Amino acid sequence: MSRSWVDAILAAGVVPASHVPEASVGRVDLEEFTGADPVEDPELRVRSLVGAPALAPPSVGFLDGIEQWRVVGYAGVTPIVRAHVAAAIRLREGDRRLRTVAENADELAITRLDRLPDAVRGALAGTGVRVVEIPADDAGQPARALPAARLEVQKARAALERRLAERRLARLGSDEWLVVDGVLSDSPALSAHPRAVGVVKSHGAEYFEGPELERALTLPVLHRTSVFRPKRRGARREIYSWYLRLWPWEGNDLLYGLLRVEARAHPGTVALAPRISAWLVGERAPLATPDRRWDRLLYPIYDVESYLRARAPRDLLPAPGSRLPRTGT
Amino acid sequence: MIDKASFQPPPIGRVVATEQKPATPHQFHFWTANETSIGIGAIVRVEGFGAGDSGRVVYGVVTDGFAYSDLATPLHDVVGAEGDPARAAEHPTVRQEIRLWTAAVLRQRPEEPLQPVPLGAVHVASDVDVAQALRMDAYLGGEQPTAIPIGLYTSGGLEAPVYLDADFLLGPEAAHLNISGVSGLATKTSAVEFLLASIFQHFPPHKGRVAAVCFNVKGPDLCFLDQPGALEDEDRRRYERLAVQAQPFERVRYYAPFKADGVNLNTLRTHPDLVGDVEPLVWGLREVLDYAEVLLNRDDIDAKADAFIDFLADRVVDKEFDDGFGGAHRVVTFADLERLFRSIFDGLELAGRGDTWRTHHIATIRKVRNRLSNISTRCKGLVTDDGPSSDLPWGRFEDRAVYVVDVANVDPLGQDLVFARAVSKLREHLERRDLGVDAVVVFVDELNKYAPGDGPDTYVKKMLLDISERGRYLGLVLFGAEQFRSQVHRRVVGNAGTIVFGRMDSDELATPGYQVLSPATKIKLATLPIGELMVRHPHFTQPIFVRFPRPGVLRGRDGVERFPPAADLPFEDAVVRQLVKLDRRVRPNQVKDLIADRREEDVRRALAHTRQARPQDAFAHFKKHLGGRVAAVPAAARESVAPLNRISDEPY
Repeated sequence: MSRSWVDAILAAGVVPASHVPEASVGRVDLEEFTGADPVEDPELRVRSLVGAPALAPPSVGFLDGIEQWRVVGYAGVTPIVRAHVAAAIRLREGDRRLRTVAENADELAITRLDRLPDAVRGALAGTGVRVVEIPADDAGQPARALPAARLEVQKARAALERRLAERRLARLGSDEWLVVDGVLSDSPALSAHPRAVGVVKSHGAEYFEGPELERALTLPVLHRTSVFRPKRRGARREIYSWYLRLWPWEGNDLLYGLLRVEARAHPGTVALAPRISAWLVGERAPLATPDRRWDRLLYPIYDVESYLRARAPRDLLPAPGSRLPRTGT
Repeated sequence: MIDKASFQPPPIGRVVATEQKPATPHQFHFWTANETSIGIGAIVRVEGFGAGDSGRVVYGVVTDGFAYSDLATPLHDVVGAEGDPARAAEHPTVRQEIRLWTAAVLRQRPEEPLQPVPLGAVHVASDVDVAQALRMDAYLGGEQPTAIPIGLYTSGGLEAPVYLDADFLLGPEAAHLNISGVSGLATKTSAVEFLLASIFQHFPPHKGRVAAVCFNVKGPDLCFLDQPGALEDEDRRRYERLAVQAQPFERVRYYAPFKADGVNLNTLRTHPDLVGDVEPLVWGLREVLDYAEVLLNRDDIDAKADAFIDFLADRVVDKEFDDGFGGAHRVVTFADLERLFRSIFDGLELAGRGDTWRTHHIATIRKVRNRLSNISTRCKGLVTDDGPSSDLPWGRFEDRAVYVVDVANVDPLGQDLVFARAVSKLREHLERRDLGVDAVVVFVDELNKYAPGDGPDTYVKKMLLDISERGRYLGLVLFGAEQFRSQVHRRVVGNAGTIVFGRMDSDELATPGYQVLSPATKIKLATLPIGELMVRHPHFTQPIFVRFPRPGVLRGRDGVERFPPAADLPFEDAVVRQLVKLDRRVRPNQVKDLIADRREEDVRRALAHTRQARPQDAFAHFKKHLGGRVAAVPAAARESVAPLNRISDEPY
């Protein structure tokens, strides 16, 4: 499909565009406020990982996804966005190498159909590309349309990841774990599975305030907080969570090296929290450089992203710094 | 000759091209799995696909390899391991790595239009691919194939025979082979021995008859070419794959000069079981005089000496000659010549006719006399003062025969003389097409010594240059070997159509002549195992690594152990042995009685005559030429007259 549907709508009168929003190269967690209930301790405490035996699962799958999108044309002032979302699971076994065991990708057009001329709508329908619509209220101004489009891309990517994870869970080996980049609570299956772990790098959601917040965000290196239960929000499922510091934040930033770990809401999680934490601390090497999030990005997750980016359509992102008109064939 | 590939193996890599490392018509890059079996020197096939590239096939040889991970900077590894190298090995995940290879294009199909290498799948080359890649298909098939096996290309579990084109190895299109390598591994000699065997077995019938003349210049290297050597199963398998029979040479003729005693051979092939095959190499005045230039060093070379030597050769030797003082001479041997010189000096002295004889200054005469007598002193055994010569069978060379001339223990001056004369005679006969064969391979080791890049222009060097530049038209082919190719005369190595490299010295590889090789290829050359070579041939656009089996002949060192050289025999026993060799009926005691109390030079002369004549009854012939014992007669006192004029201050 790739450019064929873009060519079709351009032929139908859409003015070509080449705008790549900054946010299209990575994922941004939604900012929100919530709260949490204590689980392991009556109030959030800091626990050292020194001496904690690390969990050492013989095989671990790492799941991540990417999203890339660009405005490929305008029908009037209505943007038409071409988006690519992809997710993959790379399995690590005894040889410590990562191999892809599952992957999926999707391409979609994001616009507001009723704002498009008939010819363009017809062209889009004729190509068979999956069209996702932005809300009518956001379709008027590009300043609102583009964030709305971005939200749709994120949803598509999250849905793809969830489907891939749930399929994998159904075939997960008895000693195999699945580490997901992001939250588990989106999925009933993930949030209930005993060997699924979510690793959250962004900390838009606040679960604490006051001294507990300070304890969470000033966590020393190789320490974790006690396990807590984030309060449920909407359709999200109940999970247990805790903070974990991979690298010393002093001299950098409060969020430097800080992860939030999610696992199923079960007493066993509390018992395993030290071992899972020690395991994840071990995953900080090799460093996920040159990614600028390397202090929180586990190398296997970085590897999945690298893998997906390498397989993404090459024409979706223009060469850096070049917005010259395309030439040649 | 080539096995057809029966299946299409999966690709082992993929061509990649970036702005920094683009694919070009002559070079490309590809990646493979980390566990790949290919390495430097491997031949690969790239198959194009997609618009414009479909059906295109490119063959390349791997010239360099790179491995790297996604590590941005070494510092990140240090940080990840917290400064402890041991911990780096404990990382739960192995970083992504790449094996990236650079390959030089060997051939593109179709050849026009010549375009950058397509970004296609990379396969390990099969036998058929190797033949295509090296353009061997042009001479492997057809009505008159000219392929000469040189070794097996081996890579990734596959191996394929590599052939040289006889038209480009032995002429007339190109010719000559030069082989370089460090000393002591026996690779150079072994490679030449194997290649000669291969040539003898695969030389195309339509090209006629071929022989080889090998100069043994050190130790016992070439002294046992007719004896079978020890081979391992792997060697035999390689022979079978190359369709060459693993056997010693069937026809080998050995030539060696005598030692100073004139009866014991100056060679390491003197074991009683083998020495019978060694023919003496003995030259007399005529043989030496034609190559007198060899004996003259740079300071000696002047028109006057040349003119006098020419005078001797044209007017004196083998002719009835009047010395102008009443003496008649027929100069055949050095002894005759010495008598003529004495006669001239005495005549001039007695006649008081100043310092000129037949327009030649006496100083020139003395100089030439000095040089000629010097060779008979320094090369006693090779050059005989008197008696007939014993020489290579000019005009009677046999097809597929090796003529080994052992000059390992001969004075360097004598070696020069042997080279010069043997090669000049080969050229003369090949020009006249009456040598007995149509092509001759001349193997000369130690080109660093005989054709150095610097130093004086010796006769031998000029002769080697002459072969290099003109020999291919005649069928006179030089197989030269040396340790340092950079120090051999550039026209000698430059004219070699086929260049072979064994293990090379690192310093040598640092010289400008090797700049065309990639660093990885140089490293491979510096560590090349015994039995592996890098070959350049006119049909190959890039050097190719091949493995060859051990030659089917006994190595020199092993030969000396199995056939230890015999101690020098006493004069009488040595004479007996030579006569018995000519005629098994000869009774030793009879010979010893005959030669008792006889002068050794008389015995040597008679022996030489017998050797040359090869009569039915060797003893009778020997006895006849030895003549009767003559009682010594005191010489009459010679009248001498004091010179009227002082002749010269010339110190000769």
